[in-house]
Amino acid sequence: MAATQPGLFTARIIRTVRLSQLCRMVVFERPPGFPDAAPGQFIALRVTGTISPLLRRPYSIMDMRAGELELLVKVVGTGSGLIADAPTGSAMEIAGPLGGTSFPAPGDRPAVLAAGGAGLAPLIFAARTWRRAGHAGRIELVYGSECDDELPAMLCGDDFSAVHRATIDGSCGYCGDAVQLLETLLAGGNLGSGILYSCGPRGMVRALQRRAAAGFKRHFTSLEAVMACGVGACRGCAVPLLGPDGPPFAAVCSDGTVFDAAAIDWEGWDE
Amino acid sequence: MSVSSARTRIGRIELANPVLLASGPAGYGLEYAGLVDLGRLGGVVTKTITFQPRGGNPGRRLQETSGGLLNSIGLENVGAARFFAEKLPALLKAGITPVVSLAAEDWDDFLRLLEAAARQEEVGIVELNLSCPNVAHGGLAVGANPDLLARYVRQAKETLGARPVIAKLTPNVADITVLALAAERAGADAITAINTVLGMDIDISCSRPVFKRVRAGLSGPAIMPIALDAVWRVAGSVKIPVLASGGITSVADAVKFFMAGAAAVQIGTAVFYDPSLPAAIVDWLEEHGLPAPIR
Repeated sequence: MAATQPGLFTARIIRTVRLSQLCRMVVFERPPGFPDAAPGQFIALRVTGTISPLLRRPYSIMDMRAGELELLVKVVGTGSGLIADAPTGSAMEIAGPLGGTSFPAPGDRPAVLAAGGAGLAPLIFAARTWRRAGHAGRIELVYGSECDDELPAMLCGDDFSAVHRATIDGSCGYCGDAVQLLETLLAGGNLGSGILYSCGPRGMVRALQRRAAAGFKRHFTSLEAVMACGVGACRGCAVPLLGPDGPPFAAVCSDGTVFDAAAIDWEGWDE
Repeated sequence: MSVSSARTRIGRIELANPVLLASGPAGYGLEYAGLVDLGRLGGVVTKTITFQPRGGNPGRRLQETSGGLLNSIGLENVGAARFFAEKLPALLKAGITPVVSLAAEDWDDFLRLLEAAARQEEVGIVELNLSCPNVAHGGLAVGANPDLLARYVRQAKETLGARPVIAKLTPNVADITVLALAAERAGADAITAINTVLGMDIDISCSRPVFKRVRAGLSGPAIMPIALDAVWRVAGSVKIPVLASGGITSVADAVKFFMAGAAAVQIGTAVFYDPSLPAAIVDWLEEHGLPAPIR
């Protein structure tokens, strides 16, 4: 991907779309000069003009098109709540695009995109980016959520060859989590030898790597982490890698966010 | 006033202005290209370097607090050899004045590191980080003890020759001026006050401390009054320059530290919040001049 230098920009919210009880699509006007981004890259939002919250909030870019910058915001705390509730026209300072790696295109192999929660955002960006580049192969989405109400259905449009839904409470699609659903699909023999792309809570991605990755040629994952600097300086978002060479930690923000899931020391990565 | 009248001298080295990035958040400096106007800084205090590379602490490393940030990074760094071969030349090539932050696990490790640094012509100012709360050896145990602190400073001065040596002090002691005076008597060219304040947090969802090492270092605006008090008292106790570090989050904060007697300010956690702050402080100094100490 292009090693674009990030910058500081002020961006205005054009519209906020309520997708579900917890999820919003927040669309910013793309600031003049904001560089092109690749799927897996993110921005760091300064939510208010005050020191509360102190840290910028990192959000994966869900799409960039026609002068717009789309984010998927799931309300989980103070920062995300402030972004979700910010009125149209609000200006926020964004740093970006951040992230040193992105999802590689699937080439001639089928792509399976496994998302949990707000992890859907970079996968939507990936599917749309590939389609716009003329990719005609199969792209299937496996999306897991707590209940039907949490699923941002309107995002899962024509870009996907198939959408497989799992809900914990069974209110929509498969009753169970995204990993169980993927295992079931793999057992059916329809998804094999493709490339798995994932983003979601750490427990979900760890389980994907342990229980489903063997059914795929590769598994690329965009990791979520608590971050401070966003550029690899502070080393706050460290993820342990397998292998004997050098310091064993990589920075999710600058060495990722996208990693080969087989390179990560999942056993050693706990909180 | 011109920026030149805001120059700051540390030992034999003069900084272009008294605004630096603080060790830790600053990384190796160039990570912030595009976000921080690096060309306007008086200098960058690098991430602390140890002789051997360090992976840093496992588990969670950051926890935001009200007005602050707890960290337990554990001095992750590339080690002296790679730092001197790659990171330091890159900083110099970019025209940035580096202050090289050093730490060691024990005395022998410290000697090795000093000798390695002394062999590098590019090493100018050195800041001794003998006060990191997030490591098992060589951190607070040294930096909170005035006799040990003096021994380390004396050795650094001896091995590093004419290079200026700054001692970075911990606030986690009864009287920080005792440490400052010990460092000054041992030959330190300047003092940096303060390192992070010890703190902890508990994850109530699983009834255990957030950090594996339990205690962590608190930074950010929450500790600014603690740092201001420390700088005020240290600047009133020693004759060598005092570099202020600790929760500086606005131009007004920086002005307060100059008024308290600081010769320079270091911006750390605030670059996460506002990468444009260091340049804003330089702008203010260029327009208004260096605030005089009020004592």
